Amino acid sequence: MSVEVDFFRALERPRLAGLGPNIVAAAFPLMKLMPARFILDQAEKSGELEPGARIIETTSGTFGMAIALLAAARSYRLTLVTATTLIDAPYKSRLERLGANVVVLKDEKGDGTQAGRLAYLRQSMEDEPGTFWTHQYDNPGNWLSYARLAELFVRAMGQIDWLVGCIGTGGSLCGTGTFLRQLYPHLKIAAVDTHHSVLFGHPVGKRMLRGLGNSVIPANVRHHLVDEVHWVGAYAAYHFAHALLRHHGIFMGPTSGAAGLVGSWIARVHPAATVAVIMPDEGFRHADTVYNERWLASLPGWPCEAVQEPETLSVIAPREEWEWTRFEWGRAQLADVNKPSYGTD
Amino acid sequence: MSGEAHAIGHHGELIQGVFEDDEGYLHRGLVTLPLHNLRSTVHFVLDDSKNLTVEPPDRAKALRSAHLALAQLGHPAAGGHLSVRSDIPIGHGYGSSTADVVASIRAVAAALGTRLPPSSISRLAVAAETAADATGFETEALLFAQREGEVLEHFGGSLPPFILLGFKADGSSIINTLDLPPARYDLEEIQQFRVLRGMLARAVQHQDPHLLGRAATLSACISQRHFPKPGFDLVTDIADRHEALGLQVAHSGTLYGLLLDAQSSSVAQSVRAISTELENAGFQDIGAFPINGAGGFHVR
Repeated sequence: MSVEVDFFRALERPRLAGLGPNIVAAAFPLMKLMPARFILDQAEKSGELEPGARIIETTSGTFGMAIALLAAARSYRLTLVTATTLIDAPYKSRLERLGANVVVLKDEKGDGTQAGRLAYLRQSMEDEPGTFWTHQYDNPGNWLSYARLAELFVRAMGQIDWLVGCIGTGGSLCGTGTFLRQLYPHLKIAAVDTHHSVLFGHPVGKRMLRGLGNSVIPANVRHHLVDEVHWVGAYAAYHFAHALLRHHGIFMGPTSGAAGLVGSWIARVHPAATVAVIMPDEGFRHADTVYNERWLASLPGWPCEAVQEPETLSVIAPREEWEWTRFEWGRAQLADVNKPSYGTD
Repeated sequence: MSGEAHAIGHHGELIQGVFEDDEGYLHRGLVTLPLHNLRSTVHFVLDDSKNLTVEPPDRAKALRSAHLALAQLGHPAAGGHLSVRSDIPIGHGYGSSTADVVASIRAVAAALGTRLPPSSISRLAVAAETAADATGFETEALLFAQREGEVLEHFGGSLPPFILLGFKADGSSIINTLDLPPARYDLEEIQQFRVLRGMLARAVQHQDPHLLGRAATLSACISQRHFPKPGFDLVTDIADRHEALGLQVAHSGTLYGLLLDAQSSSVAQSVRAISTELENAGFQDIGAFPINGAGGFHVR
């Protein structure tokens, strides 16, 4: 055992958990540290990011936390642009404690005002030249950084037949999948998305399961890598997150629950295959919600049964939050897949 | 006083690329495929002449390494004579020059009644020839930084057993390793090398020749983008059709190697069938070698 040169290199490493005889989960404390550190390292090397400069990003999610930790440790200034519907007060104060300037835009339509956040970001970059935009949606450093995860899976498992992971920016699943498939051409990739995310053809809408899916399509999402898509509702994900804690002592966020649910089902259906699952973040941020009985009881339709298997769709469409659906994507491009008619509005 | 020692050659590399050390710095590195069948033997006699000579006289690197070894061992002004006998072909990626150098260093140490550890031998070898292979470590599988002579990772054992079918694309072209410009790998390739390194580690720890073959094949494909070898597509096609475990190359030479499953009951037939195809396609110096106890196989 040796001490890493930089604690972040240790903190970005997942712990590996065997969820069954043929399934290994990589449980990250904070997965987004992996792309965040890689993107900053590259920008420092290329000179794009100068000492003491300002970093900017439009996120309030875990990538924002990762950048905030790194920016603070490396003495950069940081602006995070978010919206009222996307951030809660405790998370905002955690980011601010690290020195981040958190800009919260009004979001009257409730769609996260992606366009408004981008406009603000571009204006800030114009006003303060030398500002570095980490650009996690489109920066190739995002997916390239996950070679480290691919290496960990290879060292731990040897043979890998399935890769299962959440999709939001596409970095972790498409990055890990790109590197693994060069070594295992037969590798199947299952993307875990949620209802009302546009990534695999749902019409845009309010996503109850935060941190999963997207309302826009980042360049880092490579649809042609994906063999099947699963849309996991928030309640189905909560149930599995609870199960991970009860049965394995693994305390993760609900998106990790969604990935674990899908991975475990694939491992059950394909007992001769080995399955690698990516679980992106810990449960602490969700202690007062997903792991709080009173909060859960306030949800419409909760409690509900934990769904055991997905319904295979022939037409892609969103469902209720307790539901879990699946579609044989077949490594298609988004435009190739027969989308349903969404109506006129 | 005199000493004699030998060192083995190799059949190119299983992987070669750019790899991170523990501090996060990148180094050029490789995993060699050691070959027992080929060796260089050096006899060294100390004398009072204050002059150091070598036979054959063109082995300047061996001579330089003997100087360095004498200095390291406290006899910088000593004279003597090195005679190098080697059955390793020169200039194809068999590591002939490192084998001469390593055998010379060992012979000098033996003449002085001592032995040097592999790490010291490797550093002296790099000092003598700028870039050296991991020959000083014999058959221990490791990721070696060939320009610094440092080990980036010990994989903790030897390579798993397999049958190697070696051949050359063109027997006449001879390459001096140092004349090749180093490859400029892009970021995606450098990241892919991480995963290849992990696969090598797994292959050694679990003695899995299948994983070894996969890693070698992908490294050979990346190498092909930077140092194209004639006949590459033909060789990959043959490897696929005969279900070889993989394909490896000498990244700075003309050698190809197919890794075949020693456990397969039809491996002898595969070797014959592939050899015939290769011969018909004009490949040369075709030979099969059992690696690391993939025994029971008769070399034709």
